Amino acid sequence: MSGAWQFYISTLLIYLGVDVMACWGLNLQFGYAGLVNFSFIIFQAAGAYTAAVLTLGRPTPADFQTYVGGAHWPFPLPFLAAAVAGALLAAGVGAIGLRRLRADYEAMVMLVVSLIATSVVTNATGLVNGANGLDLVPPPLLGVVHLGPLAYQWFYVGLTAALCLLVYLVVHRITGSPLGRSLRAMRENEPAAAALGRNVTQLRLAAFVVGGAIAGLSGAVLVQFLSAWSPGAWLYPETFVYFTAVIVGGSGNNLGAAVGALLVPVAFLEAVRFLPPFGPPGLIDAIQWIVIGLLAMVFLWFWPRGIVPERRRRFPRRIPSRSAADGPAR
Amino acid sequence: MGLILAAVGFGVITASILALAGVGFTLQFGVTNVLNLAFGSTMTAAAFVAYVVSQSAPLVVAVAAGGAFGAVFSVLVNRFVFMPFIHRGTRLFGMIIVTLSMGLVVQYSLQAIFGASFFSLPDIGGPTFHLGSFAITGPQVGILGLGLVAMACVHVLLRYTTLGKAMRATATNSDLARSCGIATDRVIDVAWAISGCLCGLAGVALALDVTAFTDTTGGDFLIPIIAVAVLGGVGQPYGAMLGALVVGVASEVAAAVISPDYKDAVAFVILILVLLVRPQGILAEVSGAKEVAS
Amino acid sequence: MRPRTRSLLAAATLACAGLAALDGAAAAAHRAPAAHPSRATLTVGEFNPFSGPDASFGPEMVGGCIPAVRLINLDGGVMGHPITCLVEDTRGDPADAVPAADKMMATVSNLVGVLGPSSDEALATVPLLNRGQVPMFVDTGQAAFDHSPYPYFWRITPADDVKGYALALWAHRAGYTRAAAVFGSDVGSQSDVPTLVKAFKQLGGHIVINQRIALDSTSYRTEVEKLVQARPQVIFTEVDPQTGATYLSELQQLHGLIPVIGTEVTLEAPWLKAVTGAIGAGAMARDFTGMQPYAPPSGPAWATFNGSLLHSSASVPQPRQWSQDPYSMTYYDGVNIMALAMLAARSTKPSRFNRDIPLVTEPGPGKVVVTSFAMGKAELAKGRRIQYVGAGGPIVFNRWHNSTGAFEAARLVGGQVKIIGEVTAAQIAQLSGH
Repeated sequence: MSGAWQFYISTLLIYLGVDVMACWGLNLQFGYAGLVNFSFIIFQAAGAYTAAVLTLGRPTPADFQTYVGGAHWPFPLPFLAAAVAGALLAAGVGAIGLRRLRADYEAMVMLVVSLIATSVVTNATGLVNGANGLDLVPPPLLGVVHLGPLAYQWFYVGLTAALCLLVYLVVHRITGSPLGRSLRAMRENEPAAAALGRNVTQLRLAAFVVGGAIAGLSGAVLVQFLSAWSPGAWLYPETFVYFTAVIVGGSGNNLGAAVGALLVPVAFLEAVRFLPPFGPPGLIDAIQWIVIGLLAMVFLWFWPRGIVPERRRRFPRRIPSRSAADGPAR
Repeated sequence: MGLILAAVGFGVITASILALAGVGFTLQFGVTNVLNLAFGSTMTAAAFVAYVVSQSAPLVVAVAAGGAFGAVFSVLVNRFVFMPFIHRGTRLFGMIIVTLSMGLVVQYSLQAIFGASFFSLPDIGGPTFHLGSFAITGPQVGILGLGLVAMACVHVLLRYTTLGKAMRATATNSDLARSCGIATDRVIDVAWAISGCLCGLAGVALALDVTAFTDTTGGDFLIPIIAVAVLGGVGQPYGAMLGALVVGVASEVAAAVISPDYKDAVAFVILILVLLVRPQGILAEVSGAKEVAS
Repeated sequence: MRPRTRSLLAAATLACAGLAALDGAAAAAHRAPAAHPSRATLTVGEFNPFSGPDASFGPEMVGGCIPAVRLINLDGGVMGHPITCLVEDTRGDPADAVPAADKMMATVSNLVGVLGPSSDEALATVPLLNRGQVPMFVDTGQAAFDHSPYPYFWRITPADDVKGYALALWAHRAGYTRAAAVFGSDVGSQSDVPTLVKAFKQLGGHIVINQRIALDSTSYRTEVEKLVQARPQVIFTEVDPQTGATYLSELQQLHGLIPVIGTEVTLEAPWLKAVTGAIGAGAMARDFTGMQPYAPPSGPAWATFNGSLLHSSASVPQPRQWSQDPYSMTYYDGVNIMALAMLAARSTKPSRFNRDIPLVTEPGPGKVVVTSFAMGKAELAKGRRIQYVGAGGPIVFNRWHNSTGAFEAARLVGGQVKIIGEVTAAQIAQLSGH
């Protein structure tokens, strides 16, 4: 395999790792806890900006980019900080947004939060360099591992895979635990879960914060690879790509989310690049978004449970009840 | 001081567009319980319809065509997309994904058809009226008039007709309304039609106001609309009218007093403040247990 | 930036020589054999946004690349190799551009060079393309590349920070002393403001109001009111098309228009279309001036470019719109320069011909001035050394592979962009103290 092909394949693998992580984070919020977080992408962005600023060093007056703070933290601190940033932002947004609103209000609030974030970051240029974004973020451990560009790229694939594994262990641990059962119970019937003594507000916030942390980490992995990050990379429709991925793959289960990440943001969006150009400029892009929108609707109609459906959990029925037998009907 | 007074005047013009859109948004939401995130894109689509019509007809006809398109399109989308999903048991958070998908599909279809370019409705000209440092142009008088007339129509409809009463009843409790013999399905159709018509008119008014519009114009306007609806209390047309006035005037005054940079932030801040301080307008207790269903 | 002077005499001589050669070149193009079918096709990547907020960049590039490869192929290709342009959409952000660059380098065989990247993705992708040994003719104005260390990087568009000087000089020459700066809140627009303010003050003027405008609002009535109260004689601006249309039409309706001097962004087709639609063609012709990199639509190189462009309607929709676009001319020149460098190096491998790029552009004693690929090919075949002078004018790369020159002022008259004057590189250099 030629060097150029190896660069391409490894780039795709890194993107796959980032998208799988992000889908797991979203799945925890959406698939398990039933939170429609339309601002999901801003948590990835927060992680990316955090990791970037903490590796770029302090901005010099002669610099072409301006940002707040700046440091040269060694690996893995920027990644850790990114996850913390995602979690803190999620705690803040959750405290405002998750005020026991109806699910659709909540989604609307989150959408607004996403647009606000884009507007603030774009207009407050001193924060993280506005619309031009941050550039020249140094790659982690480059000075330590002493590898050529291609070998380093494969090294980064390994690093991404390791972080994916770590995230998987966390989400698996959560979803398989009593906490995961409580989340599902809350998703299915919130008043009932509350009546059984579950603190619904705390549960929702917990899922939101952990999802935010994972999104933040995925952002760090992406920005440390890309070396650049700007608002163009995290406009609100990007969240929608992840939602489509989780719906297509199968929400409420981690394998499904991973399959969705492989199919939608990686396979579908990459396949579009190979289309021969046709029509006026922007047409292919428009069609791509139309297809993403239709994909979400078609799956919600025909296969609402996705390609890898959530496992139906059967428990011995102690109390005969009608409603408990109805599985998740989405 | 003169500048602030002028800003208030300018705010009223923005408010008349916001009122058209906000009342349409809140009316349909109140009656049908579907939060329609495709609203902004539908506005843009109506503006494009008006643009196409205006190439061969007077502007008044184009404005009417935009309103008519909005009404027909909204009813059809509800009948053939939203309703079937609801009947299939799609829940609240499924529905919001459906409406957002619909919005993306509409917006990017417009981009695919017309290209990512800018379009202008014909200038209707007319004299500019001056009042101190406040000035109002012909098209703006038209927008203001359109807003006032539409609001008066909505008022008459809701207060003095049986249909209006039925709509208010359905908004309050659709099950109870049905038990009382109200044909809620028909009421819902009418609600979509009225909301769609207001949406279409707002789209055309917006296109006239910004003078050069593109496929994202309506979608960008969705936040102020949501802010207006939330501020007024969702499902409250009169609240939305008041909300439109507050948001419209506040953003212009902010541009005059603070900095033009923070103009859009006003709608955001109002929205967040309402959520923090007065969430009862949009609280879950009343309708939280009620799934989206008719 | 290294200043570059332009002697009128040299230009005139050049034009005469070029005109004489043009007929020969055009005739030769028709007689020449088609490219050798068995030789592999060379590809030039059009690496720019074709979607997203800067989707207007891509088509400008197509308007330069296609006319260039058309003429090269009519002339038998590069050493028998046909050459073609390939669209690679960066979608205007680094996160999409990086995999696009990797994909292009992996899947395109015989990738001999790219046009682009733009400011949206340059800092993230220039190192990748350089690593892949792909010569690139970028269209970013970022000051970060004023001292570029990348050997495969070439820039023949001016740096952003130079624009402010050009705007200030033009306003000064028109006799304005009170000016307003109305720039979008995006960084790209804001980066013009500091040099503009400094330069206008140096020239004895006064910026009476400096507005940072939130983009795409529904109205700017209040901003316009503030502007009018500051009583400027002229408005400097760079905002996106929708904002420009809304702002200027409200100014026109409320108080009447004041003269506007815009950056090259305001001379791009979407801006002209949106603002003309909003304020009318008459007002546009009377009150609007745009400043863009000097690339006059005249002279033999431009005539060759334009002729080929107008014959490219099969691949370039509405080709006429790019006739006077300095960026399209720049891309056209970029392809020609690379092709001539291949001939000079007798190799289509970028690692071989990259260092010959300055050799075919810089002036020198005994060099023959050529204004098209065909001319250059003929002269090289005779064993002569050449200086390619492009549709966008002469090109002299400094040690950082930057070549920037003068600015020209243009107006929109009868729907056509008309050049009305020039700010020379020397004048800019004098003002900036470089």
